[in-house]
Amino acid sequence: MSKIDENEIRTRLKRLSQVEPTRQAADRAIQRTRRTLMNEQEQRESTAARIRKAILKGTVAKLAAAAVILIGLGYVAGRLSAPRPLDVDELQAALESSLKSSLEPALRRELLEQVGERQESAFAANLTALKEELQQQFGRDLTEFAQTLATSRTLTDQRFRELIQLIEAARRQDRLHIEAALEKIELNRWHDKARLGNGLVTLAARTNELRRTEQN
Amino acid sequence: MRSRDKELLELLDKSGANLYALLTRLTLREDVAEELMQELFIKLSHSRGRARVANWDAYARRAAINLAFDWRRSRKRVALRLEQVREPASNDDSPLGKLIHSEELQETLDAVGRLNRSSREALVMRYIQQESYDNIAEQLGKTPHQVRALCSRAVIHLRDVLGSNHRKPSEKEMHNV
Repeated sequence: MSKIDENEIRTRLKRLSQVEPTRQAADRAIQRTRRTLMNEQEQRESTAARIRKAILKGTVAKLAAAAVILIGLGYVAGRLSAPRPLDVDELQAALESSLKSSLEPALRRELLEQVGERQESAFAANLTALKEELQQQFGRDLTEFAQTLATSRTLTDQRFRELIQLIEAARRQDRLHIEAALEKIELNRWHDKARLGNGLVTLAARTNELRRTEQN
Repeated sequence: MRSRDKELLELLDKSGANLYALLTRLTLREDVAEELMQELFIKLSHSRGRARVANWDAYARRAAINLAFDWRRSRKRVALRLEQVREPASNDDSPLGKLIHSEELQETLDAVGRLNRSSREALVMRYIQQESYDNIAEQLGKTPHQVRALCSRAVIHLRDVLGSNHRKPSEKEMHNV
């Protein structure tokens, strides 16, 4: 817990507010401050005067001052001898109309040319891009077509080979069938021939038998 | 003579005594107050922003407060010359009573020096210079309500600082006792 409360602090501050310097001390301080200020002003003024004097002593400074005076005189003479002061508003209006009449068509023409050039350049750029794109597309299509063609040729060859093999197999099969049929025909002919021979033999035997019977 | 110098001399005539009294209250030394008074006016004379100052009296007073506390910070505790300080409120005229009171005042001023600038200025103007809240508010560019709050917080801060000083005697002090 603090031993000093706010009342005590206020009391101390009040005691401080009651501290008063002596009248003599205050007067002395004010006088001294005044003297200091005056001295400083004098010192400042004397320094400025010395600087001015030093500047004016120099030859270059004199020439510069003369030049400044001459320029000033020339300016004043020029202003006085001028026919009449320029009307700034009138001058501005005249300049404005003159500039407008001379610059407007040229500006318009230039603007149109610029727009045309920009459009042409944009079109040319677009055309070039389109051409390149078409070429690329055509190249891609050709490559694809060549690949397809090569693939189809291979496939066709394969199909032809398979067809030839099939035809060959069919021909071989037919030949076998024909051969079997011929063999069977030959066999049948042999059988028929044998039967005919036997029949003839039988017929001859019967004929002979019949003749002998008739003879008998 | 430039208008600036004229203004300064007029300010010196008008407020010189008050500024000197303020410096004396904050330094508790007339000789130091005299030196600081000169320093204050030289600073004002060389100040570049003088054209923008609206109230010269208030500006000089704030500059004096800051100058005095700068001096206090630059020096450690300075022995008070009792013969230069009159304390009409004091009933105890004995040398011991004066010594105790002057020690308390130094301690209080050191604590005020530890406040931030705006609180310090408000506190000094209110409690040491006995100015009204409205007047202080005008000088500090704040509202009276803000100044009142600043002063209140400053007193609380002082109470804490001074209370902690009383609570915690240093080892050196203990040793001396």
